[in-house]
Amino acid sequence: MKELNELNLPEDLRYTEDHEWATTGGETLKIGVSDYAQDQLGDIVFVEVPEVGDSFDKGDEFGTLESVKAVSELYLPVGGEIVAVNEALEDSPELINEDPYANWIVEIKPADTGELEQLLTVEAYREILKG
Amino acid sequence: MKKEKKTVLHGFHLEKGANMASFGGYDMPLWYSTGVKAEHLAVIQGAGVFDTSHMAVVMVRGDGARELLQRCFTKDLERSVGRGKTPLIIGRCVYGIFLHPDGTVIDDAIVYQLGVKEYMVVVNAGMGPMVADHLLKAVEDDTRVEDLTDRVGKMDIQGIASARILKKIMRDPETLFEGMVYFSFKGGFGSFPTAVTETELLDGTRVLVSRTGYTGEFGFELFVEREQLESLWNQLLVAGEEYGVIPCGLAARDSLRAGAVLPLSHQDIGPWPFLANPWQFALCWNDDQNGFTKDFIGADALLEETDLQYTYAFAGFDPRKISSEASYVTDSGKNKIGTILTCTTDMAIGRQNGQIVSIAENTGDERGKSFTPKGLSCGFVLLEKKCETGEEIYLTDGKRKLKVEIRSDVRPGRTARLPIRTMV
Repeated sequence: MKELNELNLPEDLRYTEDHEWATTGGETLKIGVSDYAQDQLGDIVFVEVPEVGDSFDKGDEFGTLESVKAVSELYLPVGGEIVAVNEALEDSPELINEDPYANWIVEIKPADTGELEQLLTVEAYREILKG
Repeated sequence: MKKEKKTVLHGFHLEKGANMASFGGYDMPLWYSTGVKAEHLAVIQGAGVFDTSHMAVVMVRGDGARELLQRCFTKDLERSVGRGKTPLIIGRCVYGIFLHPDGTVIDDAIVYQLGVKEYMVVVNAGMGPMVADHLLKAVEDDTRVEDLTDRVGKMDIQGIASARILKKIMRDPETLFEGMVYFSFKGGFGSFPTAVTETELLDGTRVLVSRTGYTGEFGFELFVEREQLESLWNQLLVAGEEYGVIPCGLAARDSLRAGAVLPLSHQDIGPWPFLANPWQFALCWNDDQNGFTKDFIGADALLEETDLQYTYAFAGFDPRKISSEASYVTDSGKNKIGTILTCTTDMAIGRQNGQIVSIAENTGDERGKSFTPKGLSCGFVLLEKKCETGEEIYLTDGKRKLKVEIRSDVRPGRTARLPIRTMV
């Protein structure tokens, strides 16, 4: 298990208490899970993603990650429409373990960009991980 | 809150960055930095070592030791060894269950006959006091029952390369491996010698080597004095380096044993009668299958049970699974028919043309060297109705629903029972 100082937590992302991350700044946002989440789950063997065109509210469950032992739900950090899913994860779910930031899960067009501001900064997320 | 116990290898686990979790009152590794998939595959393609010193050891000694076990254990020690159902003898061990009088499970165990009047009973983490108490209540003479858990160091090496690795650290491996059939053992450890054999490491450490294990694969369980465990563990890791041996945690143990259709006590066998399940070999049925060959605590309840619950193994069609919390099983008509006991992923298997194939079998041309399975979900369900092998049932948490198939077997090509001459 990684120590807090071993976790890779990029500064330019925003995070949730459920360990998802979101990009900022563009018309669309990419969504994934944090280094902490992939480390806790262990080897990921299956990623269930929604269909392109599906719409969700902030906090809705939009998919699941399955490791050998556990099943973990994914919650959307910001409401919006799914404009792309990372199809590489269908054949190679382990990519999330290899690099949870390069390997985003879905891309959304946010309904309300104001919701982004409610997400955690890297400093705030780090405080939550400290417990 | 009760403080969790640590095995002597606890420091090693932390140093190796293991993801730790509470199990049976101990702080144990779930997986190491290599990840559970690598650990699972290492056991099938090479070997893995497991810290099992959290398991409990109860010694039963005295004139009435055998009779006591006969009264308390589901296996008939007079008809328990091999296909010929011969009596248990020194150097052999058997798997069975300790039951409450109502036929529900206290724990499963392997009973080793160490001497003429001496038996070692290995049960699960935290179960030493309960099993010792169960035995003591049935004692009718001066037979001694002693929970030695805190004095015993135990670890397992499992996988096809196990014997070749063990050979490198043993003083006399030829004698050790000679005629060593499945569910036999040699040697003794510390102050617990066996009557007939001596088995030592090159450094003189006395070790009990048992050809058993919990993965379905060829391998050994090793018992030494607690203080000697760390040295043995390190010796095996060094000797096993060329065979890709790595330390493995509870998650790999779980996925391997589910694929091997072996039960986890308190999860797959528990507070319901130990009766309609895949582990009939743990009960001493007579030839007519209508009674037992001896009496034991729980026997009457099993024979009188009419409200049956059925435990079945299952396998999915891909790696997807359902969290076992708040989940249940339905039939094709959406009727709720039972609960999920275990749901994990066996990483070594996949389906080809409708058949489950394993990388363990991937040695010939038939399947091609390119077979890289994504794994299949597998585990056990407890159902209110009888099902046939091959029948499809559904695992659901109310939102997600997965189709799985009732199986009599899951991972093919398991190596546990292969002749030892082919493995050394």
